[in-house]
Amino acid sequence: MDWTHFFMSWIDPQLLMLVALGTFAGIYVGAIPGLSVTMAVSILISFTFSWEMFDALSLMIGIYMGGVYGGSRTAILLNIPGAPSAIATALDGYPLAKKGLAGEAIGLSTTMSALGGLVGIVVLGIGAPAVSEFALRFQPRDYLLLAILGILLVGSLSGESLVKGIFAGALGLTIGCVGLDPLTAQERFTFGQIELWGGISFIAVMIGLFGVSEALMQLQHVDTAAVKQVIRRIVPEWRSVVKYLPLSLQSSAIGVIIGALPGTGGDIAALMAYDQAKRVTKNPETPFGEGAKEGLIAPEAANNAAVGGAFVPMLTLGIPGDAVTAIIIGAMFIHGLNPGPMLMIERPEMFWFILGALVLATFFMLVFGLTGIRLFVKIVELPRAVLFPLILLLSIVGAFAVNNSIIDVYFMLGFGVLGYFMKMYGYQVGPVILGVILSRLIDDNWRRAIISEQESLPRLFHGIFTSPLSAVLMIAVILVFVSNTPLWAWGKRRLSRGRS
Amino acid sequence: MHDPARRLPGEGVFSLLLTGISLFLFYQATQISGFEALSAPGSFPLFSTGCMVITSALVALRTLRLPHSEEHGWQAILPGFVIFMTVLMLFYALALKPVGFLPTSFVFLLIATKVMMRTSIARAALIAALSLILVYVVFRLVFSVLMPEGIVPERELISAMRRLLSGGAE
Repeated sequence: MDWTHFFMSWIDPQLLMLVALGTFAGIYVGAIPGLSVTMAVSILISFTFSWEMFDALSLMIGIYMGGVYGGSRTAILLNIPGAPSAIATALDGYPLAKKGLAGEAIGLSTTMSALGGLVGIVVLGIGAPAVSEFALRFQPRDYLLLAILGILLVGSLSGESLVKGIFAGALGLTIGCVGLDPLTAQERFTFGQIELWGGISFIAVMIGLFGVSEALMQLQHVDTAAVKQVIRRIVPEWRSVVKYLPLSLQSSAIGVIIGALPGTGGDIAALMAYDQAKRVTKNPETPFGEGAKEGLIAPEAANNAAVGGAFVPMLTLGIPGDAVTAIIIGAMFIHGLNPGPMLMIERPEMFWFILGALVLATFFMLVFGLTGIRLFVKIVELPRAVLFPLILLLSIVGAFAVNNSIIDVYFMLGFGVLGYFMKMYGYQVGPVILGVILSRLIDDNWRRAIISEQESLPRLFHGIFTSPLSAVLMIAVILVFVSNTPLWAWGKRRLSRGRS
Repeated sequence: MHDPARRLPGEGVFSLLLTGISLFLFYQATQISGFEALSAPGSFPLFSTGCMVITSALVALRTLRLPHSEEHGWQAILPGFVIFMTVLMLFYALALKPVGFLPTSFVFLLIATKVMMRTSIARAALIAALSLILVYVVFRLVFSVLMPEGIVPERELISAMRRLLSGGAE
């Protein structure tokens, strides 16, 4: 009875505690500007790799769900989004706080985040088995195209330029190639060093790019004083919840769809939902940007709904929905699991367990979100000069702990410094990690696809354009690529000029 | 801070460096299995490094044509704290294994807190000690993460403490 695993985290006291602890920690990690869920999960993976899979997943799922929500708090209170998914929340959340409605704004955002989270989980529960069954029909060339689409999407949507996004993705793919070739055991980028035969630890890469580089970026604002806040009642009125329910459901639907696209996450979902709310709300009580509750509810429902959405491609295709699910895939690899359509057939209990833990994390998010506000304010006021040395220390210890290898620490530091400069000069680090995770999948499927076509590129392309699924994926890849070129922008300008 | 229409200090050098590294990696990829077959072990690395070469060259060409940013100097790109913490982390990593987790971490936290908080050495030591206790309890005792012992006989100390707590009943 695999579905009984749905309740596993609910009835096992240890798992229950871990989900609660993870959600609680996630809210604070998400809320403290400069700390991100990706950073926390990447550091955490190095400490939990020796745990039981269910224990490690419970903690990570809690942190993920709590962290996506936690970013809204500082967005509302300080106008500083604690996480990228809360950027849109600040647009109307902070004006509400300035009007003395911080408590009400937090209450509404918490309730709608929980609702959005539940919508995402329901879609995951219904959609994942169907997608997984459909994915069994995928040819190696389809996986190849899907993975390329994921990297292109994250490269184009999350950064200032697609070229930089592709560079970052290709860098990740190259890093993923380091070591012995899995099929022929030929050395690739090892430079004769035996230590590199096993490849570069992707945990070291993750901690470097997400933990160290972000902490170094935040050191620029080490002297920024913490802002003190006073908040009163935060439990929202039932009337308000009912009034905004349709908008919340609509935004959740946007969140799930965007979250389920490979490579896109809560940040893009929230911005799109905000934009949609602006279009569909004809007469808001307060104009958008000046404290419209619709502008707060839409992004909050969408970013948490995107969590469930992001798990769909991860569990069914082995392709991460966003950076956090990329790290969770890494954790599953470490525990000997291989996310993809076969996971749902061979280990269905994992799917049910994840679903149950997500529901539990959403419940804890609601409970912790509506309580403990005084403690929250105290923790957010923690000086950065205390916080960031601690994060850097944990990063070093985390990188060391995986293999007890100092080489991993040097790699982590190197990638930390590289990530710092990449961020400074407008490159996104998300595609790098996606590239590292997807490198093996792309390499394997490329070779399978080309061998099955007898090493002939024309035959491969013929196969792509004669299969409806492959053709759709190929067209999507081409569209994402072309829509980011100057030619496309020129065409759009011409078109709008012609219309006017 | 990054403005795509302006070149920040060091941005040109960084983009050229990435192009150089990409070219080097591309050359290395050609050495894996040459161009013998599309399914050869070197074909995918050739593709990924080829993408790196093309995109990094495009970025470098675009960056070098941009006007310099007037707003930001080197101080904005590499503030003193960033250089200081990077060097401190390097020393920490070097000392971690031979000296051990506890003394190295304490010194690391002490120096970092003292410099960044601009506080007294006693206060910095107190904060460093409290932070270290928190990390030690959570990660070493609860998560059972193995840390390098170095010069501190950690295992003996833990077992002595356990004996003490159990009233020496063994």
